[in-house]
Amino acid sequence: MKQEISALMDGELFEDEAEVLLSRVKQDPCLSKDWACYHLIGDVLRQPEHIHRDLSTVVQERLRDEPVVLAPRAAKQQLRAFAFSAAASLAAIGVVVWMSLQLNAEPVPQIAMQQPALGSGSMQVQPKSNAYLMAHQEFSPSMEANAGASYVRTVRAEEK
Amino acid sequence: MKLCVTLVILLLSGGTALAEGLSNDWLKIVSLAAHQVEYSGVFVYLSDNELETSSITHIVQADSEYEKVSTLDGSKREIIRHHGQTWNYLDNRMVQMDRQQEHGKFPSLLAEQLSASRANYLAIKSGIERVAGYNAQVILFNPMDNYRYAHKIWVHIDSGLILKVAVLGDKNQPIEQYVFTHLQIGGTIDRSWVVAKEAAQHGLLESPEAAGVDINSGWVVDAMPRGFKKIKEIQRPMPGKHTRVTQIVYSDGLSGISIFVEPADGDENDKDGLTIRGALNLHHKVIRKQLITAVGEVPSRTVLQVLDSVRYNGK
Repeated sequence: MKQEISALMDGELFEDEAEVLLSRVKQDPCLSKDWACYHLIGDVLRQPEHIHRDLSTVVQERLRDEPVVLAPRAAKQQLRAFAFSAAASLAAIGVVVWMSLQLNAEPVPQIAMQQPALGSGSMQVQPKSNAYLMAHQEFSPSMEANAGASYVRTVRAEEK
Repeated sequence: MKLCVTLVILLLSGGTALAEGLSNDWLKIVSLAAHQVEYSGVFVYLSDNELETSSITHIVQADSEYEKVSTLDGSKREIIRHHGQTWNYLDNRMVQMDRQQEHGKFPSLLAEQLSASRANYLAIKSGIERVAGYNAQVILFNPMDNYRYAHKIWVHIDSGLILKVAVLGDKNQPIEQYVFTHLQIGGTIDRSWVVAKEAAQHGLLESPEAAGVDINSGWVVDAMPRGFKKIKEIQRPMPGKHTRVTQIVYSDGLSGISIFVEPADGDENDKDGLTIRGALNLHHKVIRKQLITAVGEVPSRTVLQVLDSVRYNGK
């Protein structure tokens, strides 16, 4: 099970597998604890300077017990690659956030629940990115040739 | 020997002039057609492993252009462009997304763009191909350096409309493509949505605040690749932002790079952010408590180089 969660965090599961696993994690408090713990581990690896020193002993123990998780996440390169592939499959959520920010000026609740699935910071930047992409396209010379078609880049992503 | 060299140079420059001449004419036609021809069709956008189908309608009414793009896959989204404004049409509600300042007089903009693209890309006519049932002239724009992508366009021979666009990467692989699968040029085109749009928009006040204001921000880019010229520097509102954002836009004639500057809100997510969508690359960076964002239809290395050389040169 732990390996499956690890695989999920690394974006190695198919969408349907991920969905099943995510719903199990939500229901099982034990699994969701693991889930939270793994993310903490990930955070530590990525930004050690921002993590409070006073880690609970439980976490420290688990850190020692979980080499499986540590190995793939330690490589920064891999993290990035993960961010890309996952961004592609999960851009969906990010853009819906953006869309809802645009239209309602407040986040949609279910998005908040899905947040852990997003994992890496690069992907969470997605909702904001769209505003920049749109703003850029207004003036970009590519707009001149492609006409409004360029907006599809952003429009299409909003609805996933 | 000297004569020989001169001859070669003459031949070379002659050849280039020929290619430029062709591209010049074609680009003029293309740019005019994009604004003046009425059309309605369905096109496919393809990038990486993503594929989206949308419909597009472009009509010219009372010397004014209206353009509607609707997604045909998934949930419905519609964008209407008119008079430099972009509207999102949702549940019978018009929501203004952006409002850009009026374009300069069209021909001047065109001339600038043409000369810029001539300097940075070598245009080559490469045969006639069939797209969406029409014969199209294929034109390849090969970049002069590797700071930009190659572009390939398929131009309808009779109308000058672009039927297909491909942005090509380093290995000539398509990074993103737009292609019409069905296109009606001229004839009877549904314009009922223009009336609906005007009605929905009626009563909405347009404040000048909504547009960008020209400024001199003091932010400069030291390592902007050759050929990119600054075409705009404005302070503008942005969706989801409380403060106005500085946007500096550079163009090489075919591709653009925008730099956004705004106060960093300390959000961790803003740092080292990277987004790729088709040919668009975006990177973030924080300098002097300002969040700098660079985005453009250029390779990731170009965006990174630009972002790394942004600095404040004001008082």
